[in-house]
Amino acid sequence: MTLGIIENLINELTRLPGIGRKTAQRLAFFILTMPEDEAKAIAKAISEVKERARFCSQCFNITDAEVCEICRDEQRDKKKICVVEEPSNILVIERARFFNGLYHVLLGSLSPIDGITPEKLKIDELVHRVQANGVDEVIIATNPNTKGEITAQYIRECFNGHPVKVTRIAYGLPMGSDIEFADEVTLSKALEGRRQM
Amino acid sequence: MLRRSEAIVLRTTPFSEADLIVTTLTLDYGMIKAFAKSPRKTRSRFGSSLEPLTYSKLAFWGREDANLPRLTQSDIIKPFQAIRDRMDCFFRVTEMVELTLNLLPEREAHRDIFHLFLSILDMIEGDSPEDDSSVLTVLLYKIRFLDMVGYGPRLEGCARCGKSGYNFYISHGSIICGLCAKGMDAPMRLSPGVIKSYDTLRRWDIAKIGRIKLSRMILSELSGMLDTHIQYTAAKPMRTKVVQS
Ligand SMILES: [Zn+2]
Ligand SMILES: [Zn+2]
Repeated sequence: MTLGIIENLINELTRLPGIGRKTAQRLAFFILTMPEDEAKAIAKAISEVKERARFCSQCFNITDAEVCEICRDEQRDKKKICVVEEPSNILVIERARFFNGLYHVLLGSLSPIDGITPEKLKIDELVHRVQANGVDEVIIATNPNTKGEITAQYIRECFNGHPVKVTRIAYGLPMGSDIEFADEVTLSKALEGRRQM
Repeated sequence: MLRRSEAIVLRTTPFSEADLIVTTLTLDYGMIKAFAKSPRKTRSRFGSSLEPLTYSKLAFWGREDANLPRLTQSDIIKPFQAIRDRMDCFFRVTEMVELTLNLLPEREAHRDIFHLFLSILDMIEGDSPEDDSSVLTVLLYKIRFLDMVGYGPRLEGCARCGKSGYNFYISHGSIICGLCAKGMDAPMRLSPGVIKSYDTLRRWDIAKIGRIKLSRMILSELSGMLDTHIQYTAAKPMRTKVVQS
């Protein structure tokens, strides 16, 4: 019977991305040996996230309130909106501590072949938000891959004839890398996006 | 076993944290799904080589019957970046991709389809943005591809008696003449221009296709007929059609 319980935990853990059977086993047996309060804290955090987490009504970041902390922050520049694909992208950009504007999460990227059409993303909401709040710059920070790039082009078109400035994060070579290892597309994009020094 | 082939990336699907499942049209092994470890990481050795439409030399590892061979190397021959840089063009090309994914069986070598796909990408990339003929070029792909996989509509005459006619029956994928069609549902009425253009696009040397100029009306009628036929044949709606309308 004990094995039934642990088997159950292993099976549940394998639902997580990147967790195979072996890792799940290791985790399950680790949890088994953990102090009870620590293990329960994990379980509680999971259920809290599921009970309380929701999307910010303005930017679609994850929050536990109607409006997220970033949107509520009076110190932030409300005239700049950085557009990202997923809420997790906000965490990464925030960690860089460079951007002080607001965000807008699309909750995905355009990919008609996978059935992800513009109306499945929060693009209309973005257009409305920019128009309603007199935003003066929209920075598109979708992924530098085909889906992200097509999404960026689509958003650009949505603001045709609108006074807002639409910018795209630069393409470049990853810092700390060697130019020799860059492929031709990455390199030509980096050249195209060069700047005067 | 390590296998190598020229290939065109058709579709990528994110898998776990930074991996990808890549569907490619290979020259030597047909359509193959393969697993690529970590291409989404900033410093991946795959770089941009697994982006859709990239024409490259691939190496993959796995038994012939392996469910998901593993990509070990990908060297770009031609990136076709110019197509991805033009949204409208890219959306049109994804119609070709979707058709191929839906109707081409996996792991069956079709060198003719590979070469066709590649020529079409070359033609589209060669277009200047002002003189974009990708609508016609994509249509050409659809027509030739359907012929190659044996799903082409039959427009040269009645499926039953061979007599020429203009009534196309989606359910039969064919023209059926008035006499033979007694009691059948309403057909799609095609104009003589559409039937003639279809025949030209099917048979002409692909290198001379640039000389064909179809009127907007013929083009949209022919596309409409073909897309309806494709959706009927694939038994599902074309997802890539939605965005453009
Ligand atoms: Zn917010
Ligand atoms: Zn007949």
